[in-house]
Amino acid sequence: MIDKSSKTVASTDTSAAVALSSRHLLGIEGMSPLEIRALLDRGNHFADAIQNQDNDFAVSDVLKGKTIINLFYENSTRTRVSFELAAKRLGASVLNIAVAGSSVKKGETLLDTATTLNAMHPDILVIRHNCSGAAQLLSQHVDAAVINAGDGRHEHPTQALLDALTIRRRMGHIEGLKITICGDIANSRVARSNIQLLASLGAEVRLVCPATLLPAAIDQLGIDVFTNMEEGIYGADIVMMLRLQTERMAGTETPSQREYFNLFGLDQAKLMRAAPEALIMHPGPMNRGVEIDSATADDADKSLIRTQVEMGVAARMACLEAIASGIDKSRHAKAGKSGGAS
Amino acid sequence: MMDTLFTNARLIDPSQNIDGIGYLGIKDGVIALMGLGKPSASNEAHKADEIIDCKGACLAPGIVDMRVQTADPGNEHLEDLATLLRAAAAAGITGLACLPNTQPVIDDASMIDSLTLRASRFGGPRLYVYGAATKNLSGSEMAEIGLMSEAGAVGFCNGVSTIDNSLVMRRALSYCGMLDKVLIQHCEDSDLAAGGEMNEGETSTRLGLLGIPAAAEAIIIDRDLHLVRLTGARYHVAHITTRAGIDAVRRAKREGLPVTADTAPPYFLLNEIAVSTYDTAFKLSPPLRSEDDRHAVIEGLADGTIDAIASDHVPVDGDAKAQPFGPSQPGASGIDTLFALTMALVQQEHISLVRAFELLSLAPASILDIQGGTLVAGSPADLIICRPDVGWMIRGGDFVSSSRFTPFEGTPAQGMIDATYVNGVKIFERSAK
Repeated sequence: MIDKSSKTVASTDTSAAVALSSRHLLGIEGMSPLEIRALLDRGNHFADAIQNQDNDFAVSDVLKGKTIINLFYENSTRTRVSFELAAKRLGASVLNIAVAGSSVKKGETLLDTATTLNAMHPDILVIRHNCSGAAQLLSQHVDAAVINAGDGRHEHPTQALLDALTIRRRMGHIEGLKITICGDIANSRVARSNIQLLASLGAEVRLVCPATLLPAAIDQLGIDVFTNMEEGIYGADIVMMLRLQTERMAGTETPSQREYFNLFGLDQAKLMRAAPEALIMHPGPMNRGVEIDSATADDADKSLIRTQVEMGVAARMACLEAIASGIDKSRHAKAGKSGGAS
Repeated sequence: MMDTLFTNARLIDPSQNIDGIGYLGIKDGVIALMGLGKPSASNEAHKADEIIDCKGACLAPGIVDMRVQTADPGNEHLEDLATLLRAAAAAGITGLACLPNTQPVIDDASMIDSLTLRASRFGGPRLYVYGAATKNLSGSEMAEIGLMSEAGAVGFCNGVSTIDNSLVMRRALSYCGMLDKVLIQHCEDSDLAAGGEMNEGETSTRLGLLGIPAAAEAIIIDRDLHLVRLTGARYHVAHITTRAGIDAVRRAKREGLPVTADTAPPYFLLNEIAVSTYDTAFKLSPPLRSEDDRHAVIEGLADGTIDAIASDHVPVDGDAKAQPFGPSQPGASGIDTLFALTMALVQQEHISLVRAFELLSLAPASILDIQGGTLVAGSPADLIICRPDVGWMIRGGDFVSSSRFTPFEGTPAQGMIDATYVNGVKIFERSAK
């Protein structure tokens, strides 16, 4: 892996935790480009350390004594493991709540669960939920800091951060890149977070999407929208494919997966329209033969898909560290205010 | 000799287009005399057992709220009938019409008997009941509209759901037309709106919530208007919210079709952007619409396209609202705030005070063919004393209604009900603080 970032990216102090304006990490919307860049810089450091097996840095104890609960209402392997690994590398105690076998199945509401967990005083709650706004709702009812690991069709901020980190480490920069996001935009939280983040860092973002999966007034977000893949992919530096969210679809948005692949699936022929050095990304898990063909997905020269997974841990380490440092600061502030009384 | 004589009152009578200081006398529960100026000291008829000096406060016909959901029978823990009627009385409502979406559904004449009988025992506001247009609100088979009509149903509707099937709708209209009852439709194409969580637009896209397009309302209104042309029956659009829908009603009225419409305060005071924080107090059905739609609602209220304002009261509790936005229950408490929120239109000079009472009282009474909306001598004395300019802070926790979720939580409002009379009997008086 060639890392150009250290040469080309002007970065601030990357040796300490990033200071965020919010106590929670609920979405890219509302984050400043400065905060995003700082998290990417910090993530870049963690990624270097992990790759160099620099255990002094890649394994630390900045989260020692912190309890993190992963509360996943939707099945996920990669995101949950990635968060868990990131937390453990930083020395936190991690608890995974397997919602499928928990009281949630017995009808307990999200807020009941929140109240119960709150009584156990975790420091950070990482939540994935099938409803848009669930992370924000949780954040209003718990004392812990909340990290959104994907809420419905709304946002998946750490995915956007790891995607940006992946791009930056490979390309050296994000500003000015032509990035085409293809697929099921309507049902994708990855798309919403990526659109916000990439546009905020100055990329030229385009969308390619069947008209039936195009959310209303999406053009008002200041991006170019295409329904023809050849046109939308033309000259792109990055082609970011999205999963067809069959589990969130009513089943009639596209006539068939075969037709979808023909019109909107990424294969070598369509990829020819992109820039010669174009790179391919996918948040996973992939539907091979639906949105991407295997040969393209596994093209070692062009596919960043494995790097994305790798960067997931580094990006989430930066996020967890930033959130934990925010918690510590507010506790110090409180302790200071109360006259240092214990 | 009157039983009660109100003097020094600002009389508001939409039926005679009166707004002026005057007096009004009640005898045997009926308005016996009214006039502008001061009552004559020498006239024996102007004397009374009780004289109430209104000190310039408004004396107006009681509010007729034509869209109220009652949780009783079936979900009394949300709000029982006594509480609902008490809240209505305190809100200046002298007549209210309840939707049939109770448990069990009001699709049977005996249910109407039972509910009206129970309400009459409270001696509060007049309670009217809509019959279900289709059995169990299924939308597929007509209910016993004729028998319910005989039992006193003031109109028919399908609760909070739309009659989607065009043939069923045609038949229900024909049948209601035969009995000269109005058919009320909640207009939302349920296929187009399936799974919808809020109005479709930039905000829904940004929030990742599933959108309900404005067209879902207009499609049903347009279709129904064709059926009105076929059947000639009286048709009423409940809680209209979109410019396209309002335009359709305006055209139909010009054409002379027997069409009326109501809306509710959230639709002329709020828009979809309120949903931005995922606050479930703003989850309503129909959803809060765009700013342009909100303006269209105000235009419709001002130019007469929209006939009435209703509270669209929904008994809903914390469990149903303390959820993520998508699965949370739509609806809000509306009774306690109906008058003050309507007064906002007057304060913003969109409509006159007389027009406000036409919307709140005369028009709904006339659509349902029930008592209300007038101070003309000989009418039952269903009256309110109110002060449209007195301010208060909307706090769900202070509501008389046991439904406490309001999209107007923490909003200042102007408009105070001081007393409510039904048949000349005082059923509510604000305690002096």
